[in-house]
Amino acid sequence: MKHKKELTPLHKQFLKKERKGKLTVFGGQFGFLILCFALWEIFAHYGVIDSFITSSPSRIWRQFGELLKNGNLFLHIYVSTKETVIGFLIGTALGTLAAIVLWWSPLLNKIFEPYLVVLNSLPKVALGPIIIIWAGTGQAAIITMAVLISVVVTTITMLNGFNNTDPNKILLLKTMRAKKIDIFGKLVLPSNLPTLVSCLKINVGMSWIGTIMGEYLTSQAGLGYLILYGGQVFKLDLVMTCILVLCVIAAVMYLLVALLEKSLVRWNS
Amino acid sequence: MQNFLRLDTVSLTYYSKTMETEALKDISFQVNEGEFVAIVGPSGCGKTTLLSLVCGILTPTKGKVYFNNQEITGVSSNVGYMLQRDYLFEWRTIQKNIFLGLEIQKKLTPQNTERVNNLIEKYGLKEFAKSYPNQLSGGMRQRAALIRTLATDPDILLLDEPFSALDFQTRLNVCDDVYRIIKKEQKTVLLVTHDISEAISMADKIIVLSKRPASIKNIHYTNLGHVSSPLKRRETNGFAQQFEEIWQELNDYETQEGTDSLTQAIS
Repeated sequence: MKHKKELTPLHKQFLKKERKGKLTVFGGQFGFLILCFALWEIFAHYGVIDSFITSSPSRIWRQFGELLKNGNLFLHIYVSTKETVIGFLIGTALGTLAAIVLWWSPLLNKIFEPYLVVLNSLPKVALGPIIIIWAGTGQAAIITMAVLISVVVTTITMLNGFNNTDPNKILLLKTMRAKKIDIFGKLVLPSNLPTLVSCLKINVGMSWIGTIMGEYLTSQAGLGYLILYGGQVFKLDLVMTCILVLCVIAAVMYLLVALLEKSLVRWNS
Repeated sequence: MQNFLRLDTVSLTYYSKTMETEALKDISFQVNEGEFVAIVGPSGCGKTTLLSLVCGILTPTKGKVYFNNQEITGVSSNVGYMLQRDYLFEWRTIQKNIFLGLEIQKKLTPQNTERVNNLIEKYGLKEFAKSYPNQLSGGMRQRAALIRTLATDPDILLLDEPFSALDFQTRLNVCDDVYRIIKKEQKTVLLVTHDISEAISMADKIIVLSKRPASIKNIHYTNLGHVSSPLKRRETNGFAQQFEEIWQELNDYETQEGTDSLTQAIS
């Protein structure tokens, strides 16, 4: 509902300043990255650091090209991303479902509270051997790991959000003779969409942790597999390349969630 | 209709692990159809509790609440509750907020939809119908909240300090606004407030409550029904005097309480 109006000179100046500030931040962010890579390259080139154990940007670039040529980089990316996305979706869905059940029944909520606390503090990686024995050494085990790492955190975050719904708004709905399902569908769930989005953001990271940990434990392919392999044969170039690739993919996933946020919580703008 | 709403020696006690709190004690009064009744009392005296009893969210420990000569059990009667803040849902447009009650009660019939759309238009919310609450001013939001309350066509409106979150200027205007709409729609109202002037400027009948455990201290009749608006009522001759009387009554309790605790402290 903005009306088009001629901008005053002062307003223009303000907008210019805003833009300049944004550019400075962006330039700084980009510049820092360039600086790090440049220093890394220079130090490696002049032997200040041993590029055999630190690798260097140029060596990473070469390694990247090689991986592309052999054609199996995309296979490894595909394997890991698939595991992560499946783990992410299952973990988020299961966690949200659990949170809904626990919100619905305050008694169950009270009964399971200590279990949630313990499960949350338990390092899920410790369950690795059990997962392998139960789910086999295939992708199922890796996905299970990704699910386990994201599901508890999702349950706790979502439940917390559900339970913090404004009691006065619940009262308002009750005076309208709303049933529990109405209270959930019309108030609790929509008011917690922002919580769900922040859960998704956390879970991008969580399911990547799960996938990489899972691949360290048991795998025939994937970025985690490559990293572990590279470490074992002391090919730091390979390790560093995979980590950078991992950074890019995780960032892309995060951006996708951020896009989703914009369309989900439009009213908040 | 006489005795539209009737409270018969209603008492309510809250229990917690460490103590029991007597909130209301032997409250009896009635509200006639079309009447505007205000309840004033010191803050924390259980005014809101009283409204919760009327809409059936709480059940009295003792005594009974009747609506149309039928005892209220559970949230069954058709009440419209308006709270201190508008509590519009940010993710719904104004229109969708207003239709919330009908949606929940599954009464989205063509007639009801038309009636509510008329309300929206009649009270100047049409241009905001597709806006989200955060795009509206405080006064407009409160008006939208009132129309949402009216949308289910309630038999009685329960207003719980509906203006206390607004600044003074807005408050007087919104008060006028709400009063005008309520009178036009010929609704029965039970208003709870700690603001004496607000009570006198709106109500036909004022019930003064004591401190906790709240009991009825006195009932005043304003006899200002002929004056058109709350703002004009504030200018009438009897206003200041009535304010003084009620203020004294409320104050009595404070000083008496003060003396009591002083005596206790000494002995």
